[in-house]
Amino acid sequence: MKTAHEIRPGNVIMLDGSPWVVQKTETTRSGRNAAIVKLKLKNVLLDSGTEQTFKGEDKLDDIILERLDCTYSYFADPMYVFMDEEYNQYDVEADNLGDAADYIIDGMEDVCQVTFYESKAISVELPVHIVREVIYTEPSARGDTSGKVMKPATITGGGTVTVADFVKVGDKIEIDTRTGEFKKRV
Amino acid sequence: MNNVFTPDNNGVVKHWDIFCTVVDNYGDIGVTWRLAKQLVNEYDIPINLWVDDLLSFSHILPKLDASKKQQSFNSVNIFHWNNPLEIQFNAGNAIIEAFACELPSQVKAIIERLHLQPHTQAPTWLNLEYLSAEAWVDGCHGLPSTQPNGVKKWFYFPGFSPKTGGLICERELFNQRDQWQADPRHKLALFQQLGLQGINAQDTVISVFSYETRALTALCELWQTSQTPIHALIPKGRSLHSLIDLLPCTIDDLIPGQQFTLGNLTLHILPMTDQNGFDRLLWSCDFNIVRGEDSFLRAQWAAKPFIWHIYPQEDDYHLVKLQAFMQIYCDNLAPEIATTWSEVNLAFNQENLSAVVMHWQQLNSVSLPLMQHAIKWPINALNDADLASRLVQFVNNS
Repeated sequence: MKTAHEIRPGNVIMLDGSPWVVQKTETTRSGRNAAIVKLKLKNVLLDSGTEQTFKGEDKLDDIILERLDCTYSYFADPMYVFMDEEYNQYDVEADNLGDAADYIIDGMEDVCQVTFYESKAISVELPVHIVREVIYTEPSARGDTSGKVMKPATITGGGTVTVADFVKVGDKIEIDTRTGEFKKRV
Repeated sequence: MNNVFTPDNNGVVKHWDIFCTVVDNYGDIGVTWRLAKQLVNEYDIPINLWVDDLLSFSHILPKLDASKKQQSFNSVNIFHWNNPLEIQFNAGNAIIEAFACELPSQVKAIIERLHLQPHTQAPTWLNLEYLSAEAWVDGCHGLPSTQPNGVKKWFYFPGFSPKTGGLICERELFNQRDQWQADPRHKLALFQQLGLQGINAQDTVISVFSYETRALTALCELWQTSQTPIHALIPKGRSLHSLIDLLPCTIDDLIPGQQFTLGNLTLHILPMTDQNGFDRLLWSCDFNIVRGEDSFLRAQWAAKPFIWHIYPQEDDYHLVKLQAFMQIYCDNLAPEIATTWSEVNLAFNQENLSAVVMHWQQLNSVSLPLMQHAIKWPINALNDADLASRLVQFVNNS
């Protein structure tokens, strides 16, 4: 069991007797700091989707399926192709990657975990922390010092991350793939 | 002990149960008590309200006997919720866990049993969440939350947009408010009834129901130098902790009705009042300083300008919530008015003393359009349907 707060894209959870791949997680704060976690889910067996909301401390039944360390090879629309140490290739539907797709880039060396259900590759879990380059962000808004000043930045691969104001184009930043949060400049 | 409503197999009585834990203050119980009364009065739904702290509840319902396990007011059954439950629980049509409180294990077991039992209808299980104006609420309202045993709970988010669960507002509230505000004798009679002396019809009257903040101290010091009389009405509680230096005695020694004159400011110690009395107080003041969730909403329904002292959260997250509300509140407001009102709210919540004083002084120049906006706002905020009516519809459709 994991708390809803610990669930991340790529996990597979059991709901109502069916396995569901977690495609996207959104954590927000309700009153008195209580966390609300919204999950976008895809049913592994039926290919149908749903969205559900949980309290951060709710326990969810995550199922341990066979996993293999793999690296990303190439994209063959609509499949992402991953390869293990023995050069076996596994196709994962783009839809099943959910938000993780934002961090997939050609030539990436991050070791990912491909999850299998009944011998079929169904999802990919990225490392908790990855490093990506900022390819576009607005210049620093100097003088605006009230609170933590943040701004959007586009990273290699096309995803958007909210970064600290001091981050510039060309900087490499560390991102927490569980939350999509900027952690630090590398 | 049995609870009052026992549904039979043909559904003769289809009651709802609302569970509320009182974490602090009167916000949680304030909201659930209003909701319970409205569901009974306007929808004829029998309601059991389970509350873990009857003593706190009794501050806003003075007739409540905190030592009783079961009693009834306004046709709402009020039960003392202790763990494990001493009162037998019978499920009805809906179970509401208010503000993410954890249902008793006996109740969860009954929901599970009804879910698994063929040919029975498990109650609709709802988590009634906190009010927020943030955009993410639209996407989370009404979503299921499937528990490991397969039972579905539904997340119900109050809010300001049509995609949310709406805002608590009784059907006749605005009519009652308009009738009250149409005659200035009503407010003077109320002040007299509350034991507040020396308030004239043309004086500026400000109600204060904030948390502790030095911003309030700064405003009181400013109000002392006002050209015209200002009356600040403050109940014994957290606001007064910020004003200790202005008081001639300790807070414990204060008596409701007592007043202190400081220059042109008079501080009045308010007696605690029930919810209807609190509403009338907000309708009667020129400006209201409110906090949390329940008084925040009632200040909006009062159609008067206000400062919202929002419940502080870690990492100043409450400021994000404040900004989200200010943005929608100011949507149809001229930029200079929106800026002034927003700045005074922000400065108050950030305890920025010089800024709160400066922006309060600027409020004078925008007081008329701000007042006009406060009158129009409640209609916009309701979006054609209040929380109770949307909730009833939600339960009927689920």
